[in-house]
Amino acid sequence: ISYACFRPVDMMTSSHVFRRYSQNTFRFKKIINSSCFPIQNRSKIVELRAAVFHCYERSFGKIHAPVPSWHQWPLQQIQEGSPSLSIFAIRGIHNPSGKSSLRPPTIDDVQYFRSVLSRPERSILTNLMETPDSGGYSESGGELQRYNQDWTNIYHGSSSLVLRPQNTGEVSSILSYCRENYIGITPQGGNTGLCGGATPIKNEIILSLEDLNNIYHLDPCSGVLICDAGCILQNLHDYANEREFLLPLDIGSKGTCQIGGNISTNAGGQYFFRFGSLHGTVVGMEVVLPNGEVLHFNIDSGIDAEINAKQNNNNRSGSHRKDNTGYDLKHLFIGAEGTLGVVTKVAIACPSLPISRNSALLICNSYEKVLNVMKAAKEDLGEILSAIELMDWNTLQLVKTHGINTSDDSNGGSGLLGEILSAETYGKSNQLYLLVETQGSNLEHDNSKMDAFLTRLFESSTIDNGFLSQDSKQIMEMWKIRESCNPSVARAGCVYKFDVSVPIEEYMDVAHEVNNKLKAELNSRSEDDEITPVVCVWGHLADGNAHINIVPKLGTFDKDKSLAKLIESIVYAAVLSRKGSISAEHGLGQSKNSYLSKIKTESTLDMMYQVKKIFDPRGIMNPGKYLPRC
Amino acid sequence: FFFFSKIYPSDQDTLTHNRSASFFLSLFDLPLTASIALNSNLTADNRHSSYHQSISNLGQPNDIKAINMKILVPIKRVIDYAIKIRVDPTKGAHGVQLNNVKMSMNPFCEIAIEEAIRIKESATKAKKDAEVVAVSIGPKQCGETIRTALAMGADRGIHIETKADVRGDYVDLQPWGIARLLKGVVEKEENVDLVLLGKQSIDSDCGQTGPLLAGFLNSPQATFAAKVTREDDGAFTVERETDTGTETIKLNHGRSPAVITCDLRLNTPRYPTMPNIMKAKKKPVQIISLEDMAKELGLDLDDVLKPKNEVVEVYEPPPRKEGEMVGSVDELIGKLREKGLVA
Repeated sequence: ISYACFRPVDMMTSSHVFRRYSQNTFRFKKIINSSCFPIQNRSKIVELRAAVFHCYERSFGKIHAPVPSWHQWPLQQIQEGSPSLSIFAIRGIHNPSGKSSLRPPTIDDVQYFRSVLSRPERSILTNLMETPDSGGYSESGGELQRYNQDWTNIYHGSSSLVLRPQNTGEVSSILSYCRENYIGITPQGGNTGLCGGATPIKNEIILSLEDLNNIYHLDPCSGVLICDAGCILQNLHDYANEREFLLPLDIGSKGTCQIGGNISTNAGGQYFFRFGSLHGTVVGMEVVLPNGEVLHFNIDSGIDAEINAKQNNNNRSGSHRKDNTGYDLKHLFIGAEGTLGVVTKVAIACPSLPISRNSALLICNSYEKVLNVMKAAKEDLGEILSAIELMDWNTLQLVKTHGINTSDDSNGGSGLLGEILSAETYGKSNQLYLLVETQGSNLEHDNSKMDAFLTRLFESSTIDNGFLSQDSKQIMEMWKIRESCNPSVARAGCVYKFDVSVPIEEYMDVAHEVNNKLKAELNSRSEDDEITPVVCVWGHLADGNAHINIVPKLGTFDKDKSLAKLIESIVYAAVLSRKGSISAEHGLGQSKNSYLSKIKTESTLDMMYQVKKIFDPRGIMNPGKYLPRC
Repeated sequence: FFFFSKIYPSDQDTLTHNRSASFFLSLFDLPLTASIALNSNLTADNRHSSYHQSISNLGQPNDIKAINMKILVPIKRVIDYAIKIRVDPTKGAHGVQLNNVKMSMNPFCEIAIEEAIRIKESATKAKKDAEVVAVSIGPKQCGETIRTALAMGADRGIHIETKADVRGDYVDLQPWGIARLLKGVVEKEENVDLVLLGKQSIDSDCGQTGPLLAGFLNSPQATFAAKVTREDDGAFTVERETDTGTETIKLNHGRSPAVITCDLRLNTPRYPTMPNIMKAKKKPVQIISLEDMAKELGLDLDDVLKPKNEVVEVYEPPPRKEGEMVGSVDELIGKLREKGLVA
């Protein structure tokens, strides 16, 4: 059935469709041919309803369940006296621009999956009850909760079916089934996203890739690592490190997030400055399209044959770093957030593992000095510079109070954080903290560069104070502070998160502007004592990427929708006035997609919709996310 | 400007006559007086005088104050604890690869330095002077480890430099030789009140250097210290951790310095801050070669270097067998039945 031409007000084609598939063509013809007519008579409504029912049943034929009751139908209320009855009735059936055309899974779908999947007791999680006659059982809804909810506890879906396929073939059969039956499906990796892109909006099926976790091969010459999309990032790091390679992606959630999700959101992370984005480092991919087809982009289609990935296969991997043959479709999937298809395998190019690693935590008392530090780092450290991360005073305060394992240790001493906060120069709220990391291949060379860099900074009084790591443990402690920024702030109160790109010179100006405006607005609205919102800024300085997190009131966790809108408008105004990006690396998901129509031109957006239509005409992939009206 | 000179004795005959001292000082930034060339008879008394003369000729801007307490902290440079060890099976006893591998101070030695600095700080609060001396035995790169100790707060460093191919991880240098050298350092330093060591090093894991040193010095010792307190009479009270509980021992003040080895829970080492790292570059470090030191002390070099225990074989532990993931309780029961573990 082609519904591409099925438009709301297109009576001619809709009648064509109904003519082909309607059982009661004769009766229906009579009604349809007179396209616009006033309703006088209730019985006509009933007739039309019946005809529409039939058409639906015949065209969506494979439903084995009884036809859902009227109120579940995606039809709008048909009102007496409305000018054009059939338009209302037909509009609801298949509207490409409305989510309402998809249906939720039923117990019959579960039965189908049970018959088709290889390990149904593992792959199917559902709370749909069997009827008492069939002697089945139902799983508790408790297990479903962790899939339905994201870790910031903001986005809650109500999916009743989670599928965990065991291989690409199963992904393909699931997707083709959902496509035929118009069931919405939300692919999910580690569920660590910050925009609600992995949790269903209503009751779509959740497709969790966690069981696709084989690591196939790491080519020792080219450094290309081939693995399944459900591999946890930390495991990939360990695997690559054992073989003297380094995965070029490192983010705070690496213990839980999966590489497929990272790719679908084009994750940035700490090493973005040094190694570039996933668009550059991902060399190959295997994807499953919504119609069930499996496409291979620069990846060997036979790699599945080595099922036991533990064997050291010497087969050529078929993934090359350079391949200029045709439109590079994999780039569409990188960052598409699961709206075009499901990524099932990944080939990523890894650089060699650096032997020498050094990090230093520096304290500056103004942003101009921070910029000088960055300039000096790029000049003095040059090619060994791998990360510059910025944190501000508010953030560090919250990390101190709410961070886990970053504050005092058991025998009364203080860890690194304690020492930072007790250093002689501490105490000024305009202090900024920089974590500078170098990675290289020669210990002495790196040490002398770092030494020269720090000496230069200290003697020119660019930094007030600083700490240089002396061994690996201290490097990890410094990074632990940086990585606990996010969780600590989340524990401090209800936090409104923003991830923006701004010109590097104006990084802190944005924060100050937001702080002042927000304070003014909040105080003008309430008669209470002065409210001090806490604006925390941390981020990847060299990329110009600031994570602005605002806790309007420490200690309260209730989300206030109007306040959220107010804060959003202030922050985005500050960012857009500087021609920045409202989502630097977190993506759109369901939290920022409505803004897309304001920041992209009509024609750009139109092209995006067309791309979506090519890959997913029925709109089953991750409905409600990414593009505004999908 | 600075200059240094290093003079080795040419042969055995000239050993006792007109032999120049074999110390030289290596300094990084400031112009200070450098080497000392002394003609001295290396009899037992003169050894002392030449050593001390070298210190007093350091010519620091302020004279050496009357030191109230001196703490000696031997430290060791080992493979960084987070690095995966690589073993080359073809190299026999030398299998553990040390080339181009990140090395840093032994974690227990860091704890010892931290404790020494804390004792010094509490002494300073009580208006008494204290000096912390870090000493290390190893190749040239050991100097960096000593700089770390100086950046944490030690005052002075002594580096007994070995040739580059001498291994410290139990293959060449072993606790017996190290303890003999350290005994020599303690005697030369004079008036050492306390020797703080790490309980063991993470490469050889012997834990013997401290007790051996205490034996050689005829010193009171306490190992696995979890808490150290200095009493007013100069004694040290140590709480030590044993498998069955905590034991408290008092090491009385006497002629020989107390020897204490430090365990994990004693303290958390501080991070060297930028100002201290800069200051550390200017702190003095005496460098003496292993051969010279052995001769000074009248030790047979072989006795020091030749290991008392021979390393027979070095190999990586066998890799852990992969487990099997099961997806549900039923699968688990099925697998257990297959393996005959349940009925």
